[in-house]
Amino acid sequence: METATLIVVLVIVLALFFDFTNGFHDTANAMATPIATGALKPKVAVLLAAILNLVGAFLSTEVSQTISHGIIREDEINPNAFLPLIFAGLIGAITWNMFTWLLGLPSSSSHALFGGLIGATIVGAGWMAIDYSVVLSKVILPAVLAPLTAGIIAFTATRIAYAITRRYDTKPDGRDGFRFGQIFTSSLVALAHGTNDAQKTMGVITLTLIIAGVQSPSQTAPELWVILACGITIALGTYMGGWRIIRTLGKGLTDVKPAQGFSAESSTAATILSSSALGFALSTTQVASGSVIGSGLGRRGATVRWRTAGRIMVGWLFTLPASAAVGGVMAVMVAWLGGWGILIDAVFAVVVILTIFLLSRRNAVTAANAMSEVAESGTAVKVTRNPPPTRRQRAAVRDEARREKEGSK
Amino acid sequence: MSITIDWFAFVQVFVAAMLATVLVVGFYSLGLRLLVRAGRVPVVGPAEFTDAITVITVKDAQRAAKAAAKAARKSPLTPAQRQIAAVGAYISFALCGLAVLGGLLLIVFNH
Repeated sequence: METATLIVVLVIVLALFFDFTNGFHDTANAMATPIATGALKPKVAVLLAAILNLVGAFLSTEVSQTISHGIIREDEINPNAFLPLIFAGLIGAITWNMFTWLLGLPSSSSHALFGGLIGATIVGAGWMAIDYSVVLSKVILPAVLAPLTAGIIAFTATRIAYAITRRYDTKPDGRDGFRFGQIFTSSLVALAHGTNDAQKTMGVITLTLIIAGVQSPSQTAPELWVILACGITIALGTYMGGWRIIRTLGKGLTDVKPAQGFSAESSTAATILSSSALGFALSTTQVASGSVIGSGLGRRGATVRWRTAGRIMVGWLFTLPASAAVGGVMAVMVAWLGGWGILIDAVFAVVVILTIFLLSRRNAVTAANAMSEVAESGTAVKVTRNPPPTRRQRAAVRDEARREKEGSK
Repeated sequence: MSITIDWFAFVQVFVAAMLATVLVVGFYSLGLRLLVRAGRVPVVGPAEFTDAITVITVKDAQRAAKAAAKAARKSPLTPAQRQIAAVGAYISFALCGLAVLGGLLLIVFNH
């Protein structure tokens, strides 16, 4: 019984650590744009993102319920054997997350978490312990469809924003005003991040509490202390991680025009918020990247750099199976060696975290080598310096040529 | 074991997100357009961060402010028309805010 309690505590600590890294990693997605365009001072932006992540954690618990009452069939597993498997899955997720972060590979914290849990569960409890219907409809399909949805919406919104504010004389068009608007849209992205990403850790902790018999399986919503702990942890991670993004601004985002950034952020926030309400567990990074690519294409004369876009997408596709494999290996240790396996997993996690932390300190993050993944996805779109004229501009050129012709006669 | 997928939920997400984004971006853009018509072109001040990049130089901001003032002086609209455009702009911004608030309330109360 004491071992079980210790494992529950370890799982909760590890889940909260994952939550912290998630906030740390994703601050740039929400707040890099308004800082880059001068709409917000870095200190204010980071604080705002942290507070809104905390608020977002309280808005909806649908995503948490997808994880705690959907992906894994609690009735198919032995509770005593399953707690160490959640622990192994979390270690798999954290290891994969930190490894890709260090190498600068495009990845998704959320998919690393799902991958780790699914891999560990399959290895430890068998194929039947996973509800593939939920995995397909609430994780895999949203992973494919949500960035596409966000991209299409951002494309449409960018077209609308440019069409409404376009001027055919050379007078100011007021598009600088979108910089102010970005304060609100990026705040909404931070809020949306809290409604989706903080929920995932809540789901894992709730699942642990149900398996341990601390929470009734009929109670679908997470306990208040779980919501509060996850909200505070992700907010803390967001605040701490924020300082890193100040260094990431030199590259990528300067090409994002304010009207484009405003549309992309509106699309990201709307897609994540509506998905969260229906319990879809998304990768916020992928949705934000889809929006940035879509809004880039919304500008006249834009084309996709398929090689860059393909590289980003391959990275996304790779995350779920790769983290599942790492989670599976960790679970094998537990399955074969029992208590010793848990100890080996824990030591492995500490070694990985410490090594990666020390390596990341040696290779300091600078404007030259650091870039948020969302900003990087902006490079998948090539925008020409002199975009082709609009229909109205072409008509004006034709009229002028005709007048000149008539005048010369 | 049968796999059932609620495709309608994806349609719901697409329609809700599209509607919300179009309303927010549309109203905000309209507000900016009307603000420009009212001769109140928004200009963001210069910004520079020690460890990063200069986003807007003082020169850029001054140039934008000068162009905005010139456009306001040469506006073909009467003062009354400008006033109406300004009121229209603020109404558009308010509608944009209401669209956001409405969306958030829908999520909270549907939950």
